[in-house]
Amino acid sequence: MNRALIRVRKWFMDRSMRYVVAVALILGVAMLYLLSVASTDTSQFATHLPLLLGLGVAIVVILMFLIGFQFALMRRRLKARVFGSKLTLRLVFVFSLVSVVPGVLMYGISVQFLAGSIESWFDVRVDSALEGGLNLGRVNLETGLQELEQKADSMAVHLSDETSVSRVAVLNQLREQAAVHEAALLSPEGTIIAFSGLDTEELMPVVTNPSILRQVRLHRSYRAVEEIGYQQLQLRVAVPVSQPSGETEILQLVQPVSQKLARDAAMVQEAYRDYQELSLSRHGLKRLYTLALTLSLGVALLSVLLLAIMFSKRLSAPLGFLAAGTRAVAQGDFSQRQPVHRHDELGVLTESFNTMTRQLSDAQTAAQRHQEALSAAKAYLESVLANLSAGVLSFDEHFRLRATNLSAENILGAKLTPLIGTSMQHWQDNAPKLVSIGAVARTRFADQDEATWEQQIEVETQTGKQVLLLRGSRLLEGDEKGYVIVFDDVTNLLQAQRYAAWGEVARRLAHEIKNPLTPIQLSAERMQRRLSDKLDVADSDVLSRSTQTIVNQVSALKGMVNAFSEYARSPDPDLAPVDLNGLVLDVLDLYEAMKPRLSVELADGLPAISGDSAKLRQVLHNLLQNAEQAVAISSQPQIIVSTSATENGAMLSVRDNGPGFPEQMMTRVFEPYVTSKSRGTGLGLAIVKKIVEENNGTVRISNPEAGGALVEVCLIGAASGTLDEQPLAMNH
Amino acid sequence: MQRLLVGVWLVLSCALARADNIFVQSVEFASNDGEYYLSATFNIGLTPPVENALNKGVPLYFVVEFELIYPRWYTLYFLNKRIAGFEQTYRLNYNALTRQYRLSYGVLQQSFDTLTDALDVLGGIREQRVLTDSRLDEGRAYEAQVRMRLDPTRLPKPLQVYAFGSSMWDVSSSWFRWTVRP
Repeated sequence: MNRALIRVRKWFMDRSMRYVVAVALILGVAMLYLLSVASTDTSQFATHLPLLLGLGVAIVVILMFLIGFQFALMRRRLKARVFGSKLTLRLVFVFSLVSVVPGVLMYGISVQFLAGSIESWFDVRVDSALEGGLNLGRVNLETGLQELEQKADSMAVHLSDETSVSRVAVLNQLREQAAVHEAALLSPEGTIIAFSGLDTEELMPVVTNPSILRQVRLHRSYRAVEEIGYQQLQLRVAVPVSQPSGETEILQLVQPVSQKLARDAAMVQEAYRDYQELSLSRHGLKRLYTLALTLSLGVALLSVLLLAIMFSKRLSAPLGFLAAGTRAVAQGDFSQRQPVHRHDELGVLTESFNTMTRQLSDAQTAAQRHQEALSAAKAYLESVLANLSAGVLSFDEHFRLRATNLSAENILGAKLTPLIGTSMQHWQDNAPKLVSIGAVARTRFADQDEATWEQQIEVETQTGKQVLLLRGSRLLEGDEKGYVIVFDDVTNLLQAQRYAAWGEVARRLAHEIKNPLTPIQLSAERMQRRLSDKLDVADSDVLSRSTQTIVNQVSALKGMVNAFSEYARSPDPDLAPVDLNGLVLDVLDLYEAMKPRLSVELADGLPAISGDSAKLRQVLHNLLQNAEQAVAISSQPQIIVSTSATENGAMLSVRDNGPGFPEQMMTRVFEPYVTSKSRGTGLGLAIVKKIVEENNGTVRISNPEAGGALVEVCLIGAASGTLDEQPLAMNH
Repeated sequence: MQRLLVGVWLVLSCALARADNIFVQSVEFASNDGEYYLSATFNIGLTPPVENALNKGVPLYFVVEFELIYPRWYTLYFLNKRIAGFEQTYRLNYNALTRQYRLSYGVLQQSFDTLTDALDVLGGIREQRVLTDSRLDEGRAYEAQVRMRLDPTRLPKPLQVYAFGSSMWDVSSSWFRWTVRP
C-alpha cells in the first residue's frame, strides 16, 4: 500500500516535473522572441521592455531552481548508490560540455561583436560632418536674416523720412522694391499702421510677440528664424522706425525660407538629432543587447542543461531497471519483467533480459517438477524397501554401510541407521550380526566372476541360532559402485521344515512300530498262558517274568509311540482368555509331593492371556517334570514358579537350582530328541516350544549366574492382537 | 464672478524624502460657477544628462497629473475612488538649426531663446479647468493631488533602456496633496 503510494507520488512528480520543465522552456523561448522583437522594433514592446527583462530573469531563476532540484535528486541517487546514477552524471557532464562550451564561445563572440559594431556607428568624421551640415544651414539662414535686416534698415530710413503721405503705398512700394514677402508697420503698442503682403490671401500679418515689441522699442532690432510648420521656416526681422515726432514705430519683415533649403536643413537637423540620440544612448543600447544576449544565453544554456539531465535520466533509466532485475534474479525471483518502451539497443537489451528471466523461470519450474518427481520416486522406493519383509543392506565399494531398511534392523535386532557410512570395524559393538554378514559378503564379493550369489549363514543369538539366507549382487550402474545384500531370517522356516519332517517320520514310525506291538503283546500273553502250566516252576517263573517284561516294554513302547504321534499330530489350538495364575495353581495342586521344594511367586493383577488352557497345562507339566528331574541330584532342591506382567501380556517362569543346561546344547534344546538326560524322549522342551508358539508366545532359556536353569514363557494378553510388537519375537 | 479660494499658497520646503527635481511652488485651486480651476507653479530643474539630451535635440515630454479622490478609511490608498482625473502632456524640444527651445501643448507652440524661459513657461499652469462641481457632494472631504513628471516611456527607446532605473533620469515631483471641501 505504502509502496504503491510512493510510486504514484513519484509518477506524479515525474509528470509534473516534465510539465514544469516544458512550461519553463516555452516561457523562455517566448521571452527570447519578445525580447528580440522588443529590442529591434520601436513598437509597444518597447514600453514593456523592463517587464520582459524581469520575466527573463525570473525564468532564469526558475530554471536554476529546477536544475538545482534535479542536481539534488541526482546527488541523493548517487549517495544511495542507485545503479545508473553515475552514468547519468557522466552523460549530463558530457551533454553540458558539448552545449555549454560552444554557447559560451558564441556568447563571448557576440558580445564582442556587438560592442564593436555599436561603437563603429559613431565616428568623429560623421559627427563633424553632421555638425558642419547643421552649421551650413545656420549660416545660410543667418545670411538671409542679415540681408533681410539690411533691407529693413533701409526701408526704415525711407519710412522715417516719409511723414504724411499714404504710408501703406510707401510700404507697398518699398516692399516690392526689396522683394520681401510681407511687411508691416506697427505702432509702439503693436497695432498695425500699414501692411503690405505678397500673398493676397494673407490679409493680416503675423501677430508679434509683446517681448519683441518691447525689445524693438528699446532700439534693438529683432531677428529670428521661426518654424511655422513641418519643414517650413520663415525669417522675421523687426527694426525700429524713428519718427520725427519722437515716437518709435516698428517695421516687421517676414520672409519665408525657400522650401528646398528648409527641407534640407530640417533633414540635416533630424539626422543630427537621431545621431545624437544614438550617441547618447549607446551605453544603454550596449547594455540592452548585452542583457538580452546574456538572458538568451542563460535561458538557452539552462534549458539545455535541464534537458540534458532529463534525457540522461531517461537514457540511464533502463540500466536501473536491469540492475534491479538482475538483483532480483540473483535472489531467485524470476518474475521480473521490465517494460520495453524503446527500439534502440537498450530496448533490445531489456527485451533479452526479459526473455532470459522467462527462460530461467521456466527452467526453474521444470527443475522443481523434476525434483518433485524424483523425491516422489525416492519416497516410493523407500516405502517399498521399508515394507519389504526381507532385510536390505547396501555397501559402497569400500564396504561402508550405505543404506538399510526397517526389516534389516528388525532381523538383526540392532539400530543400523547410526552405522550408515561406517566400515566394518565399527559394527562389532552395536550390531555383531552385521559383522558376520559383512565378512561373508566380503569374501563372496571378492570373487570377481560372480555377479550374484546366495548363501545361508548361521548367527548366534541369545535364544539360539538364527539362520539367515543372504543374496548378494553387485551394483554396476553408473559411477556408483557397490554391493547389495538382501537377506531373510529363515530360522523359523527351516525349523518348520524340520518339524514337519520329524512329524512325518514320527507318525510313520509310530504307525509302523505300533502295528506289530499288539501281536507281540498278544503273542507273549498267549505264550505265557499256554506254556505256564506245562513248564516247571522255575521255567514258569522265567517265562512269567519275561512275558511280563515283554508286555511292560511293549506298553512302554506304545506310550512312546503315542507320544510321538501326539507330537506329530499338532491339532490347531483353541485360543481363549486364560487366567495364568489360576492355571498355575490348578496344576500345582497335582504336585503335592513336590511341595517342600516348590515355591510359588505369583504377581497380582495379571492380564488375562490368550491361549489354549489344556495345552498350557501341558507346558507347565513338562517344565515341572524337567525341573524335578534336574533337581533330583541336588542336595537342596528348589524350584521357583513365578508369574509376572509384561508389556503386552504375562510371563511364566520356572527356575531350578539343578546343573543347568549344558552349554553345548543351548542352541538346540528345543529341537526334538535332543536331551541331556539318560532317560527321556527329548520331546519335552520341543513340545513346550511348539505349544507356546501355537499360542503366539515365545519361550527363552538361560542359565542364570546363580546357577540352575531358567525357562521363561511369554504369552500375549487376550486384549492385544498380534505378535509384531513383541520385542522378543524378532529373535525367532 | 465669485472666486472661492479653496487651495493654499504653499512654498514647499526641501524637506522631502525624495530627491525631487521638480518642486511645487504654489497651487491655487478655485471654484467658479461650479467649475474648478487649477493653477500651479512648478520649479523645474533638469538633471545634467536630461539637459544634455535636450540640447542634443531629444524631445522631452512632461506630464501634469491631477487627481481628486474620495478617500475611504477602510481601503488602501491606491484603491480609493478616483472622482476625477486630469492629465496634460507638454513637449519640450530644442531646434539646433534655429537654436530655439520649443514648447508644444496640443496645437499651441511657443519658442524660446533660453531654456530658463521655456522652463518658466512650462512650470506655470494657469487656470486649468479640471472638473465640474456637479460631481462633488456638498460637505464631504475630498483629497486632491497634483504632480509633474518627465515621462520616461516617451523617450527614444535606446535612451529608455539607458534611463531605466537611473536616478539621473528621474525628473519628477512628489504628489502634492490638499483637502477639498465643496
